[in-house]
Amino acid sequence: MAFEKEILEHSQRKAKALSMGGAKKLERRREAGILNARQRLDYLVDPGSFDESGLFARSVLPEAQEKTPTDGKIAGFARIAGRRVGVISNDFTVAGSSSTALNGKKMGHIKQVATSRGFPLVLLGESTGARMPDTMGARGMAFSLENNMYLRTRETPWANAILGMAFGSSAWYACLSDFNVIKKGACMAVSSAKLVSLATKGEVDPEDLGGWKLHTEITGIADLAVDTDEEAIDAIKKFLSYMPSHHREAPPRALVPEGSDEPVKGILDTLPQSRTKVYDVIKVIKKIVDIDSYFELKARFGRTMVTALARIDGRTVGIAANNPIHKGGAIDADACDKMCSFLVLCDSFNIPIIMFIDQPGFLIGIEAERKKMPGKVINWMNAMALCTMPKIAVQFRKNYGQGYLNMGGGKNADELAAWWLAETSFMDPSSAVGVVLGVDREAEPKKYEDMLDKMIKDTSAYESASVYGVKQVIDPRETREYLKTMLDVHHLRLTGGVGQHLMRAWPTTY
Amino acid sequence: MAAVEVKADVTGSVWKIMTKVGEQVSEGDELVILESMKMEIPLMAPEAGTVKEILVKENDISNEGETVVILEV
Repeated sequence: MAFEKEILEHSQRKAKALSMGGAKKLERRREAGILNARQRLDYLVDPGSFDESGLFARSVLPEAQEKTPTDGKIAGFARIAGRRVGVISNDFTVAGSSSTALNGKKMGHIKQVATSRGFPLVLLGESTGARMPDTMGARGMAFSLENNMYLRTRETPWANAILGMAFGSSAWYACLSDFNVIKKGACMAVSSAKLVSLATKGEVDPEDLGGWKLHTEITGIADLAVDTDEEAIDAIKKFLSYMPSHHREAPPRALVPEGSDEPVKGILDTLPQSRTKVYDVIKVIKKIVDIDSYFELKARFGRTMVTALARIDGRTVGIAANNPIHKGGAIDADACDKMCSFLVLCDSFNIPIIMFIDQPGFLIGIEAERKKMPGKVINWMNAMALCTMPKIAVQFRKNYGQGYLNMGGGKNADELAAWWLAETSFMDPSSAVGVVLGVDREAEPKKYEDMLDKMIKDTSAYESASVYGVKQVIDPRETREYLKTMLDVHHLRLTGGVGQHLMRAWPTTY
Repeated sequence: MAAVEVKADVTGSVWKIMTKVGEQVSEGDELVILESMKMEIPLMAPEAGTVKEILVKENDISNEGETVVILEV
C-alpha cells in the first residue's frame, strides 16, 4: 500500500496523543470515581461530534515532550443538542493541566473562533496555575504570558464547571463565565491550598479556601453545586438550552409541556391569607411558568431574591422575585449583587425579564452599610436603566421605599400590574411618625395619633391603578395569561428580539 | 458530630419557639419564628440534626447575626 509508513505513523502518534497522563494516572481517577478529561467531553457533546484542535500539541521543552500530550488542555469544536459549541477540557493528568504559552494559544483560538463565528464556549475546569519551570524568571514570564488577555464582552454564552482543583486559568474562566457550576469536593481559588499553606506557614483546608459552600453561599461565584461530574455537565447543557447561540439572536423557543396552563389555577393555595405571614415564592413561580422549566441560579446566595431562568409559553424568561421566606423579603447587599448579575446575563442574551414583587424595603443597618449598600442599590438602578430587554413586573403584595423603583416602579419597567393583595407606600406610617417626625407615642399620644392619621394613606392596588401607577389589577390566577400577553406585546419586533447590550462589558465579579 | 449555629438573619423579637431541646429536625424545619417589619419570619434548620441548645425565649430581641439555636449535625 502506498504511504503505509505515513499512515502507520499517523495512527501511532494519534494513539500517543490520546493517552492523556498514562494508564496509571487514569486508573487512579477511575478508582476514585472521577471522570477524566476525555470522558467528560464524551458525556458533554453529541455522540461523535467532537473535532479536536491541537491534538498533536505538546510541551515546547524537549525533556517534557513525551509526557505532555495535547500540552494538557484538550480543545476543539463539537455539538450539544445539535448546536455548534467550542469546548475546552482541562486534562489534569498531564502536568496538572498547567498553563503555558502553547496551550494558551490553543485556548485563544477556540475562544476567538467561538466569539467571531457566534457559538457558545464550554470550559471544564480542573487545573493548576502556570507551568513551572516554563514561567519562571523574567524570560519565562515574558514568553509564557505574552498573549494572556481576559476580556468578557458577552458575544456568546460561556458555561463553566469547576470539577477539581481549579487554580489559575480554571479559576479565571470560572469567574468570566455566564454560568458556573461547582462539584462538591472541588476547590476554586487564586492559588492552591499547598501554596497558601507555604506562604502562611499553616495548614489550609481546601474547603475553606475555595469549596462549594464558600462559592455558593458567600462569594456567589458559583451558580450551583452538584455531586458528580455528570450532574455538572447536565447543568451546563440545561443552561445552554435557555440561551441563544450568540448575542444577535433571540433565545430558542421550546415546545410548551402539556398541562402548563393548569398549575396557576391553584396559585391561591401557595399564599397565606394574613399579610403578616410569609411564603416561599419559589412555589408560586413554579405555578406560573411552563412545567419543569424552572432553573434557579445562585439559589444559596442572596436568598432574599430568587433569580431563575424559566419559560413561559415556550419563551425563555428571566424571573427575578423577592422571597418573603428569607428576611421577610427585605433586600440585602448580596441580593443586590445577584440581581445585577442576573440583569446583565438576561440583557446580554436577549432574555426578557419578569419581576415578582413582595418586599418591605431594603435591609438597613450598620452591617448593610459595611457592605456598601447604597452603592449596590444604585448599581442595580443603573443596570435597570441600561437594560434594553423588556421588563415586566407583577406586584404580589408589599412594595415599599426605594425598593419600589429597583423592582420596576415608575419608568424602571415596561409594564407593572398588581394582584389585588398589593400594598404600596414609602414606609410604614408608625415609622414615619416615630422616626421621621420624632413624635413619641407614649410621651405625646394625641399628637402621635393626629400625625399617624395624616400618614396613613390608601396603599391599595386600586389606589395605585386609579393614577396608572400600576397599569392593571389582576387576580393571581390570571398571572400566567397576563405574562403571555405582555411577552408577546413587548417582543422586540424591530430587531428580531435582540436588545442593545449596553451592559456587555459589565464586570464579572463585584 | 459537629455543632452548627443557626443565626438570626434579621433583627427582630422572638415570637414563637417551634422546637425543643433534643428534637430531631430536617433541613428547612422551622426552629424559631421572629417578628420583624410586622412579619412572622421563620428561622429554618440549614441541615438535618438534633436541637442541642435554644439560646432565646419568647419576647427576647435577637440581633442579625446572633446565634439563636445550636444544632448537632
